[in-house]
Amino acid sequence: MPKDLQDHICDDALFSKAFRTHADHLYKFLFYKFGSQLNPKDKVQEAFIKLWENCKKVPPSKAKSYLFTVANNLMLNEVAHQKIVLKHQQTQQRSHSNESPEFLMQEKEYQEKLENAINNLSEAQRVAFLMNRAEGKKFKEIAFILDISVKAVEKRIYGALEKLRKDIKEI
Amino acid sequence: MDREQLIHKWLNHELTPEEFEAFKSLDDYEELMKLSQNIQSYKAPSYDLNQELAIALNRKNGTSKKRSWMVPFMKFAAVLVICLGIFYVLTTQPTSTHTAIAERAELELPDDSHVTLNALSNLTYNKNNWNKERKVSLDGEAFFKVEKGSKFEVITNFGIVSVLGTQFNIKQREHFFEVTCYEGSVNVLYKQKNTVLKKGDTFLIIDGEILATEKENKKQPSWLDYLSSFKSMPFREVIAEMERQYDVSIKVKGMDLKTPFTGSFPNNNLEVALKTISKPLQLNVKQKGQTIILTRD
Repeated sequence: MPKDLQDHICDDALFSKAFRTHADHLYKFLFYKFGSQLNPKDKVQEAFIKLWENCKKVPPSKAKSYLFTVANNLMLNEVAHQKIVLKHQQTQQRSHSNESPEFLMQEKEYQEKLENAINNLSEAQRVAFLMNRAEGKKFKEIAFILDISVKAVEKRIYGALEKLRKDIKEI
Repeated sequence: MDREQLIHKWLNHELTPEEFEAFKSLDDYEELMKLSQNIQSYKAPSYDLNQELAIALNRKNGTSKKRSWMVPFMKFAAVLVICLGIFYVLTTQPTSTHTAIAERAELELPDDSHVTLNALSNLTYNKNNWNKERKVSLDGEAFFKVEKGSKFEVITNFGIVSVLGTQFNIKQREHFFEVTCYEGSVNVLYKQKNTVLKKGDTFLIIDGEILATEKENKKQPSWLDYLSSFKSMPFREVIAEMERQYDVSIKVKGMDLKTPFTGSFPNNNLEVALKTISKPLQLNVKQKGQTIILTRD
């Protein structure tokens, strides 16, 4: 691992660089783990302000784990009061308007089952699986973001896929 | 290529066009595609990195600016609060004087009023408030010579003694409360009842009962001349007073402690004092170090 030239991050350029590198990943991580009710965007902002306040103690190489830990803790402080529910976006465009009522009903039923199934996944499975399917990220990228091995990512994604298929098949 | 490998490649977004054709022919192709497509609606809303970075930079500059003057200001404020606190405590603390066994103290109050404190007594007053109200708390026995002026109050567990300018003695014990006026007049507030004492009058309570007493002819209490005097006092009060004046512990055997006693004993000679109280009651005296045993034949 290359040694840091800087032992702190108290500099606008370094701070901006850290933001560009980690903010989007952090936001996605929080969104898929905790849903949108707890304001993942705000938590990202708060985590970076905390980073700035403690910039003397955090070298750039530690910035990522610092940010993820802080943001995760911020979420956990609130999560005790609210149940996490991921909802699908209703704004999904409909390409066909000539579908039969039966088909529409089946679709609706499927989506309800899917929503339940996704919320029944473990947090780890949900984050990995949605990063893979909804964000289109490869195993390696997810492994890098979550700081875990590729094998662990595969295990989570396969586990999630199996669980979702099973839950949806059940009536 | 087998099914497992195709699904693995599909999941990892690395199917080539030919492999995708093979993937299409799998039994569960439809199911997987439907699931995958529906998952798209769970995609996180887009994140505008530049806009969010601008907000973060703005907020961080705001907080650092705030911190730069807040921290020294808070330090300064904390020191100020501590200083004010110490000043307040030092200047408003009541002044307290305490005497031990066989000890007495003479003190001048801020208005030149004079107090003599007998053994094992405690007097507390507030210097700062003195101009507004002349008020002292007493636990024990003391003789007051009060300068003329506004109302002077002595607060005791039994009641409040208030005067304008006079000389009086207060004696307060566990079951016993005595106020004697030697000059001017004194008001005693006991159980919401006021009693006015003229020169020579004594207000006496033993075990909660107000007792009548003779006129006092002396100019000042006898204890100021190192003599403890008693007029028809229960004997236990005499014993208790002797224990206060000399550092001894006294045990009495074969005698009712409520027996009235009239007489006095000196405060500066234990041998004479013991004789003075034992002879009239025909008591034998035995002394073992600090313990004295009085027995009746």
